[in-house]
Amino acid sequence: MPLGTLDRTPPPFFKQGLSAVSKLLLFSALAVLLMVADVRFQVTEPLRAALGVVLYPAQWLAQRPQVLARASTELLQSRDAAQTAERQATEQLLRQAQRAGQVEQLLLENQQLRELLGLRERLGGRATAAQVLYEAADPFTRKVIIDKGANDGVQESAAVMDAHGILGQVTRVLPLLSEVTLVTDREQATPILNTRTGLRGIAYGDASAESWLELRFMAANADVAVGDLLTTSGVDGVYPPGVPVARVTRVERRADSVFARVVCEPLARVQGTRHVMVLAPLSDQIPPRPVIDKPRPLANPRGARK
Amino acid sequence: MIMPRGQQLLLPASPLFVFGSLAVALLVSMAVGIGWSGRAAWMPDLLSIVLVFWCVHQPRKVGIGVAFVLGLIVDVHETSLLGQHALVYTVLGYLAVMIHRRLLWFSVPSQALQVWPLFLAAHLLTLAVRALLGGAFPGWSLFLAPVLEAVLWPVFSVVLLAPQRRAPDPDADRPL
Repeated sequence: MPLGTLDRTPPPFFKQGLSAVSKLLLFSALAVLLMVADVRFQVTEPLRAALGVVLYPAQWLAQRPQVLARASTELLQSRDAAQTAERQATEQLLRQAQRAGQVEQLLLENQQLRELLGLRERLGGRATAAQVLYEAADPFTRKVIIDKGANDGVQESAAVMDAHGILGQVTRVLPLLSEVTLVTDREQATPILNTRTGLRGIAYGDASAESWLELRFMAANADVAVGDLLTTSGVDGVYPPGVPVARVTRVERRADSVFARVVCEPLARVQGTRHVMVLAPLSDQIPPRPVIDKPRPLANPRGARK
Repeated sequence: MIMPRGQQLLLPASPLFVFGSLAVALLVSMAVGIGWSGRAAWMPDLLSIVLVFWCVHQPRKVGIGVAFVLGLIVDVHETSLLGQHALVYTVLGYLAVMIHRRLLWFSVPSQALQVWPLFLAAHLLTLAVRALLGGAFPGWSLFLAPVLEAVLWPVFSVVLLAPQRRAPDPDADRPL
């Protein structure tokens, strides 16, 4: 039998290190500490950023199979499909060109009217184009990772939209990547405006159902109908106003509740979008809150009597 | 060396292969987790199978500390709660180290049956942590994941032990 056949290093008799139980306790305590630090105090961002940068090459490598598969399917796509797509795109371009002409005119008219009314110019923000790298492999949340981070000027809480509407919001910024919480995430709330009635509300994600939004706290007699278009309201100072968010698909008015159950479908492709636009939050363009003096109490008759 | 009767004498495991296989499992689970498959609740966690495998077969090389670090890396990649996977992998590593002396006396299919509760515990722990923080319930298919992980155990047993089953003295007839 040759020499290397068996593992000949004997197990250490005395230097055995920590026992398994104490290791379990030590590392579990560390993990729980990290979780608490992450949730309560948000102090783990530097650690996360450093690990994220180190991990970036591995993530890049792990995406290659998908990128290759995508490239090859695009290559094998038939000529007919490409031509159809091109024809449709041309038609759409024509329609949009017509609309664009109208828009110019409307913009001019709007500008004049606004100046007339002495209103502030409508808020317009900076926008950064980005690409979705991967969806976070976590069945509990709905998040995607995009390829622009703090180095590209992405700010936390910026709104993210695709070609059809609001996709979500940047909830964490790493140096090279950012994490976007989709509108359908259970903890994501989007302020909306019903374009038909002007009613404002908040749309919450409902990840338990398949990519749905729910309009909570709508009074049972509120004017909401199936097919209503919901856009961002712009009153929050984060989302730019007037970007489409969702369309109402179901309204249930129940006798046992003072609120109606309004279910809507997001317009953005939350399931498989690739190109997105990060809209910088408007909070830095909004004038600061006016300082109001604390209301002074009226002269106290009892104090006066003393 | 006390070992079950009739079992092949294995070559010593190369640390390069052990840690290389962990790295490859991490990469593969990243690649698998990119599309729709990552969000499916029943998706087996390939990295945890490899981790438990080496905790059972090479407890002196791969243990609870390695499990913790791997969990931290997965947490950063999935941008989940920092420490969630670290906690789960730590517990998984501990359970695997606890059963490693007993497990290797059984045949590979019955080993799969015995590691199933480990994976189930890991998934339940994940569920508990997320439920505490108000996450949504991902559906009953979540309980398919530990079953699939146990089913994959024999496959990983064959693949990951293949380098140690090579001939100790390769010659022209047995080149590998």
